[in-house]
Amino acid sequence: MSDFLALILQQSINGIYLGCLYVLVALGLTLIYGVMNQINFAHADFVTVGAFAAFFSATRLFTKWMGMSDGTGYVLSIFMALAAGALLGLLVNAAVFAPLRNRSDELRPLIATIGVSVLLENAQLILFGPIPFQFDSPFAQNTIRFGKIFFSEQSVLVVIVAALAIGGLYSFMKFTFLGKALRAVSQDRETAGLMGINENFLIALTIVIASALAGMAGALLGPVIVLTPFAGASVIVKAFAIVIIGGFGNMEGTIIAGILVGIIEAFTVQYLGSGVIDLVVFVLLLFMLVVKPTGLIAERREENV
Amino acid sequence: MIGFSALKSGALAAAVGLAALSAPAIAQNVIRVGVLVPISGPASYFGVQGKEGVALALEQINRGNGINGIKLDVQFEDSACSPLQATNTVKRVLEQFKPHIVVGEECSDASLAIAPILEQAKVPMLNAGSAANQLTESGYKYVFRIFPNAAQQGVPLGRNAYTKLGARTAVLLHVKTNAGVDNADGFAKEFEAAGGKILARIDFAQDVNDFTPIATRIAALGKVDVLPTFALEGQQVRLSQALAQARVVKGGGGTGIQMGSIWLPWGFEAKAGQASQGYIRIVQFDPTEKRKMVTDFIDAFRAKYGADKTPTHINAHAYDTMLLIAEAVRRGARDSESIRDRFSKMRDVEVTTGKITFDAKGQNSDMSVIHFVETQADLSWKGLNW
Repeated sequence: MSDFLALILQQSINGIYLGCLYVLVALGLTLIYGVMNQINFAHADFVTVGAFAAFFSATRLFTKWMGMSDGTGYVLSIFMALAAGALLGLLVNAAVFAPLRNRSDELRPLIATIGVSVLLENAQLILFGPIPFQFDSPFAQNTIRFGKIFFSEQSVLVVIVAALAIGGLYSFMKFTFLGKALRAVSQDRETAGLMGINENFLIALTIVIASALAGMAGALLGPVIVLTPFAGASVIVKAFAIVIIGGFGNMEGTIIAGILVGIIEAFTVQYLGSGVIDLVVFVLLLFMLVVKPTGLIAERREENV
Repeated sequence: MIGFSALKSGALAAAVGLAALSAPAIAQNVIRVGVLVPISGPASYFGVQGKEGVALALEQINRGNGINGIKLDVQFEDSACSPLQATNTVKRVLEQFKPHIVVGEECSDASLAIAPILEQAKVPMLNAGSAANQLTESGYKYVFRIFPNAAQQGVPLGRNAYTKLGARTAVLLHVKTNAGVDNADGFAKEFEAAGGKILARIDFAQDVNDFTPIATRIAALGKVDVLPTFALEGQQVRLSQALAQARVVKGGGGTGIQMGSIWLPWGFEAKAGQASQGYIRIVQFDPTEKRKMVTDFIDAFRAKYGADKTPTHINAHAYDTMLLIAEAVRRGARDSESIRDRFSKMRDVEVTTGKITFDAKGQNSDMSVIHFVETQADLSWKGLNW
């Protein structure tokens, strides 16, 4: 393989891996918007909570106290992060979102998500302190090489988990009763209610699923990001951009946009410089807003999610 | 006969008069120090460590009679590493606390924002963590810095890369901040003047997490001798690991040598692991140093914060700022003007990070504070005596 081809292939692999990380974060955002027509500004903090849950369960609970191997401990910590995210989603919905939802005011829940974000950041700051934690996945240091091409076992794990999460979510939405009910609520909340669908339960379920996804994303991002109580903020702006580029509330669009942004980022680093990554991504965002405001996949609103 | 009421009034007036007379006397026994550090936000780890260093020094300085009867009164304020917040905070501190001196900020951008305000208020600013050259190159009379500026860090790195390591090619890596740019400029200027070639200059934002695409780009450039890197610890750990994975640096089986500045605290190697093998960097505070001042500081630090803790250069810098203020007071400083005067005359004052001699611009000119170390295979440091 020529050096040029190897370089193109390598940066494509880097981009897909990066894109999968973004997709994992963005899926929860788009899910909540699709069903509730609401933007969740606290999503970044759910990611951070997931990262900390994974860190402590991997480095303390499973390995130190239960004597498991680093690899097993880390894989199990992904499930712990998922559970922590789900539990947090359940609590935040019960304490904040559910009481506000009944007041038929779109602004209050939006502002409440900002409040939840600040609350979670500061709670984590008190609990864990500001000094960065070193979260190393045992898979991050093991490199797989095919000639000039290389990638870490961690990146393979990220791609597999992302594929499973996407596949699982897609199947849930398309083939299960609850998934169909969720889509019904996203199409028309009032009519779905008249048909006997428990709207509040389904909205709570949406928040729990989105939060669980955020938690899981945190577990996979933990070994990549600098783990502090503000860690999630470093990816959330890009996740918002991806959701807009893909089409707010559109799952397929979010997946395509996430991978696309990851690949664009990798090639921007190669040919334009890493200093202009944000410029390129946000020019793309503005371009999409002007040319195709509905996003990459322009579906009818009622078919979203 | 003087009535009882008149007597009471007279006594009250005398008491008020005495209180008024004694108030300045009390005030003169205290030097007020405003400490601006990031306590909230992503850079708050600077603030936490800064507070630890200041609190320890304060405890030692104020013990018993203080400095010949004078004590330091410190007020911590959160400036969040943000130019806007630092500006608002310093204005409020000046108005309400009326400090004789202000210590801070850590981040160059915030320090550059508060320097003109303190200059105008004629309150000395003692900086221990910002590298941007501009801070002591703007003609300020009240700004002092013990931290080596970007030129003092970047230039020796560039010179030694060429002369001591025999490097002829370099890839510059730096975060997009005033300090990052200045450090990289300092290296590039010296390295290119000596005959070296900069193959690429790669900057990145502070929120970049995955450095694999950057490492891939560098790997495609061919042989690179040195990779001077100027970023905070969190990003540096990930960057070193990505460079090792791409077999660019020694830590990953490559030939490139990563070089870095004082930005990296003690403990970086333990976090980066084998990827940091062969990393050459400047350190200003070396906890393995046997100088009495250093060992005493470490003992006191561990007694206060835990036997398993080792102070970083951030702890040490904060501790040193208090030592310098105490030294100025010991030399007769009693207000802002006299603190500025004593600082400007300081020569070879020993602190934990070395010796301090302020030049006419307020910059510590004693380069003995800088020494080079190389990370070994067991992740320990080897002094290079450069």
